[in-house]
Amino acid sequence: MTQLPLWLIPLFPLVATILLGTIAVISSGSKKGPAEGIVGALAVLFPALSFAVVAVLAFGMPEAGIRETLCNWIDIPLFKADIGFMFDGLSRIMLLFVTGIGTLIALYSTGYMHGDRGFARFFAYINLFLFSMIVLVLSDNLLLTFLGWEGVGLCSYLLIGFWNKDLSNCKAANKAFIVNRVGDIGFLLGMLCLVTVGGSGILNYDALSAFIQMILTGGHVEIVLPVLSLTGLLFFFGCTGKSAQIPLLTWLPDAMAGPTPVSALIHAATMVTSGVYLLARMGSMFALLPVVLDIITVIGMLTAFWAAMAGLFQNDIKKVLAYSTISQLGYMFMAAGVCAFDASIFHVFTHAFFKAALFLGAGAVIHSLAGEQDMRKMGGLIKKTPVTACVMIFAFFAIIGFPGFAGFWSKDLILERLFVSGPMGPTFYVIGLFTAIITAVYMGRLIILTFFGEYRGSKESEEHIHEAPASMLLPMVVLAFGAVFAGYLWAESIGVTFFSDTLAPVVGSAQAYAATLHPHAHVNPMIFAGLGTLAALLGMFIAYKVYGSARVPAAKGSSAPEGRKATWTFFFDYVHKYVGIIPVQVLAWICDVVVDKILQAAQWTIGAIATILGDGATVVQVRKVRLQVAFSIAGVVALVAVVLLTGGLI
Amino acid sequence: MLLHLLVLAPFVAAILMAATSKEDPKSSSRLAFIFGLAFVVLSVMLIAAGNKATDPIEWFRIPGCKGPVYYYLYSHGLGAWMVFLSTALSLVALVSARVTACKNYRNFAIGIFSLMGAMNGTFLAADAVLFFFFFEAMVIPAAILIASYGGKESSKAAMTFAIYTLVGSAPMMVALWYLLTKADNSLLLSLAVALQSLPAGAQTAILASFLLAFLVKTPVFPFHGWQAITYAEAPAPLSAILTGAMSKAGVFGFIAWILPIFPLNMSIVSTMMWLGLATAVYGALMALRATDGKKLLAFSSMSHLGIAVAGVFSLSEAMLPAVLVLLVAHGLCAGAQFFLMGIAERMAGTRELDKLGGLSGNSPVFSTLFGALGVMSLAVPGTAGFVGEFTVLLSLWDMGPFAALVMGFSMILSAAYMLRFIQKVIFGKASGSYDNGPRTSGLEGASIGIMAVLLLVFGFHPAFVTDSLHLFDEETVEQMNDAGKAADGEEAAETDEDADEDELPQAMTPDEIAQLDSSLKANGFTDEERKSLITQVVGAEAALALESRVQAGLDAEASDDAKTNDEALNKEASND
Amino acid sequence: MELQPIYIQILALAIFALGLMTAISRRNLFFVLMGVELALNAVNLSFIGFAKTLPADMSVAGQIVPLFSIAVAAAEACVGFAMLILLFRKKESVDSDNYSNMKG
Repeated sequence: MTQLPLWLIPLFPLVATILLGTIAVISSGSKKGPAEGIVGALAVLFPALSFAVVAVLAFGMPEAGIRETLCNWIDIPLFKADIGFMFDGLSRIMLLFVTGIGTLIALYSTGYMHGDRGFARFFAYINLFLFSMIVLVLSDNLLLTFLGWEGVGLCSYLLIGFWNKDLSNCKAANKAFIVNRVGDIGFLLGMLCLVTVGGSGILNYDALSAFIQMILTGGHVEIVLPVLSLTGLLFFFGCTGKSAQIPLLTWLPDAMAGPTPVSALIHAATMVTSGVYLLARMGSMFALLPVVLDIITVIGMLTAFWAAMAGLFQNDIKKVLAYSTISQLGYMFMAAGVCAFDASIFHVFTHAFFKAALFLGAGAVIHSLAGEQDMRKMGGLIKKTPVTACVMIFAFFAIIGFPGFAGFWSKDLILERLFVSGPMGPTFYVIGLFTAIITAVYMGRLIILTFFGEYRGSKESEEHIHEAPASMLLPMVVLAFGAVFAGYLWAESIGVTFFSDTLAPVVGSAQAYAATLHPHAHVNPMIFAGLGTLAALLGMFIAYKVYGSARVPAAKGSSAPEGRKATWTFFFDYVHKYVGIIPVQVLAWICDVVVDKILQAAQWTIGAIATILGDGATVVQVRKVRLQVAFSIAGVVALVAVVLLTGGLI
Repeated sequence: MLLHLLVLAPFVAAILMAATSKEDPKSSSRLAFIFGLAFVVLSVMLIAAGNKATDPIEWFRIPGCKGPVYYYLYSHGLGAWMVFLSTALSLVALVSARVTACKNYRNFAIGIFSLMGAMNGTFLAADAVLFFFFFEAMVIPAAILIASYGGKESSKAAMTFAIYTLVGSAPMMVALWYLLTKADNSLLLSLAVALQSLPAGAQTAILASFLLAFLVKTPVFPFHGWQAITYAEAPAPLSAILTGAMSKAGVFGFIAWILPIFPLNMSIVSTMMWLGLATAVYGALMALRATDGKKLLAFSSMSHLGIAVAGVFSLSEAMLPAVLVLLVAHGLCAGAQFFLMGIAERMAGTRELDKLGGLSGNSPVFSTLFGALGVMSLAVPGTAGFVGEFTVLLSLWDMGPFAALVMGFSMILSAAYMLRFIQKVIFGKASGSYDNGPRTSGLEGASIGIMAVLLLVFGFHPAFVTDSLHLFDEETVEQMNDAGKAADGEEAAETDEDADEDELPQAMTPDEIAQLDSSLKANGFTDEERKSLITQVVGAEAALALESRVQAGLDAEASDDAKTNDEALNKEASND
Repeated sequence: MELQPIYIQILALAIFALGLMTAISRRNLFFVLMGVELALNAVNLSFIGFAKTLPADMSVAGQIVPLFSIAVAAAEACVGFAMLILLFRKKESVDSDNYSNMKG
């Protein structure tokens, strides 16, 4: 069987983008807008085709993966880059869930965005996003990955600001893009660092691995370690931007201004995990850099803990999920920080399912409540929307790591790897476990406030509550199914190691290298599983005790947390304000008001001098024509006299 | 022929436009469109044709100088792309001005065509005096157009612009004249050779006066005083040409005239690079605070050109293609943004950012283009701007990580001001009190759309742009070598017959070539660049020598009197 | 007594000086123009006088130039008076001191 070419995968969403974009622009003039049936069909069909191609390729993939160079991209002295794709164990996993969940969410969106004025525009953006995301994970070099990297950031900007009539949405979008841009500069400079070490060819992942291998076998690690550490830090800085880690995490909660399917697709399942993907992809390099790895672990741990705490105080259902996403991403970074790249990618994979299910469920709730997002105005919805409630509860069990559900397998794996990672391992483990308890508490709070108890909204709105249409329910159910069973791809306790086997060719050598540095004793995985289960149960119990019976204070206007909690949870916004924004504003003020004025004054002075000189010259120019003629004749006489007396100057 | 057409035909077109009726803007706009399109086609042909040179024609002699001034055009990759920018932006300007329904469309077109001719001349001139002539000539039509078609303070803007730029290049005129009194003729190589013989102080003074002219034209901080008011008050189509094509003359001057002529030392290079970076950051900061849409774009364009200048003076191997791509991307992108801002101003009747907003609801096509081009100016990968800025960043990285970090800072700032700009203009709610002027016309939208598509195409395949620099590697070099050999052969054959041989203008001696080569090397040129530059210069000199020899041969057959006269002249010329 | 060339030149000089003085000292523009005419004619006279010093076959050059000069003077007078009339219409005056628009 001839193999399908790899470029087909990104091609489909690209074609869809162009088609839908054209439709959106053409139909923008008409009153009615384009037919939603056709647009929706196109929007779902193309990602589905892409998914089919990925699936076909995934089954026929050889062990070493498929590589394909399409054409040359940049070719100048000092720098050459190709457009090339690489389909191996890692990109197979990523592509499967990117295109798969992408298709499901496109289907969901046809129901969610029904009747919106920008229906076609929305799907054009979604397809553009899928294109960029596919390029990100499919590319075989860092530069092309960067194309996808900025591309997904751009789509995120477009989709957060999708309802652009409201300026606060635009501001959230701007914030997302600018914060990401700060991280992207880290990515760019990291690439330049790498180029200094090994020339432009090293941007290719295979070449990078070969280079690292060469260093290792040659024993030159110490020579390149400083530069590589800087490189690693810069790349990690780029990852903190995209994956919303400390210090660049503030944009993600604000990004919830976008339509809910966007939050599910971009800000939970796919885009924000690209930082983890990048770490795993460059795993062979990061494994050499103990300092960078420690920083990654600590940052991931702090993020996971802080975001979980912040999640406790949110009232907006989507904000809770946003902070929970940040917290889960922190787990993934912790895993990557102890060189457990396969575990972190596994968590990316399971997280994609249950977090997407949670977001879609939240979207269905918001949809049924006609746009209400404040949890304090919900309650008792399990009776009205049973399917949504079931989906969300399954996903809830998955995220808190209830035994048997997807999150259980991946989170326990991460905690186990943390414990055995080295001397600091047990500390990391304890904090991770404590964070897991908090996770169970705030997620339990979300479920209880939303689905149990009495409905706390107004009476009129209660009558309109309805279950979402089938196009929305179907993807939710599929994802809930994934949230339950995705974990069984790697359940070591029952002997399934499919997931780690498929990743082994990509990250295996890096992890083997790291393992040689910290030989660890074998531990019984059952103890970890038991402790994890205990944490989940404890968290659920606390949530039940605290929120199950408590009277929820009636909601006032805003859904933001009140009082000191607000300033505390948005702590990093203040940090950004005082570290980033205000200095720049002051600098701009200095440029505008001081420097510019000084320059203008200098110009004015020169102009004034010229004017004064000119005025002086006009004194000679008298008002009398007769006198001027006399002057000119006197001048001629003087000139003649000079010529006669000196015999000419020339 | 192509070169002559591109430089002289715009003036002819301007004269022909004068023949059309003033009362009938429709017919004159059609004629202008046809001319504009023809020039764009010619410029594309020029890019495809690779390196080309015309025969040098003796133009006039400056008193006190040894050699004559030639009318001599030469096109290489950089100049050809700049010509493309000037013609393409002029075409779109002609299209865009049609909708504004200038009552005096005819005169507008005359001005645009003369400006285009002058710009093309600047980018194609191989003779320093010719270059300077066109460099100054650009200012006049531009200033007249600003004064007669601009906004409220247009006459002030036109005066500021004209005086600032003319004063800026006045020292260059003096320095050039002084240099010409020492040089054999006004071509690049003889200037470079002449400069070597001057004392160090004089070299620095000449360099400073050359630099000043280009610094003002680009403009680079702190010589940017004319820019904001000029771009803001000029009619939008003209602002697009000014920033997209004319400001490139400054950067072009750095590459094509400063680098080959002057032996730059490290302190000057790094000063210039930091000036460029300061411009980039300063422009971005000013753009953050700008309240006038066109001023914001002016500062944004200043910021990008600062990056280009910094890239030029990074002097890395990748410099030339990197800067070329950056310039092309910036020309198309900033040009298109000015056109769009002009449309916004036309529709809303204001360019105050606080009074704009909500245009996405009013006119979706416009806002799609506006948003797309705004994003493209942020150097998002996949657009030409990314290739340019990334490669410039790569060049700067060689000069030290701090330089690259500063450039990264300006890139972050660019996202901040550009997103604010997009948000203020097209998002939010319409203020409701708009003038409802004419919307984007079909042709206008299509031409701006084509510019956006070009940016994407160059972003994914920058070889379209960078390959034009490679064109003079293989074939042309050989061709020129052949021409040189032929000239040598002829020379040998004529030696016996012609006693005047030695006194004729000579092609470069090997010593001189070696000298030039080493000075170029000291300036950080790569082997390929050096080779091509030298070939270019040697070819030019050889052509000159050939021509005068042929003339001498013809003269030999003429009457005795004439011959003696000629000999005397030749002697004089070569003895000086 | 033969007419010495120098006498002619002295006469021309005197007439030129008179014309110049008229042009400078009179305020009435008609007199200024007349003074200019006078000066021009003095120059013509000077030409003729010098022509007389040359041999006959070459003196013709000196006699032709005044012809041109007369033609130019006629044209100049024409234009000058036309402008004067226009100026008079505008300013209601032929006093040269009233015309100072060009002063910066």
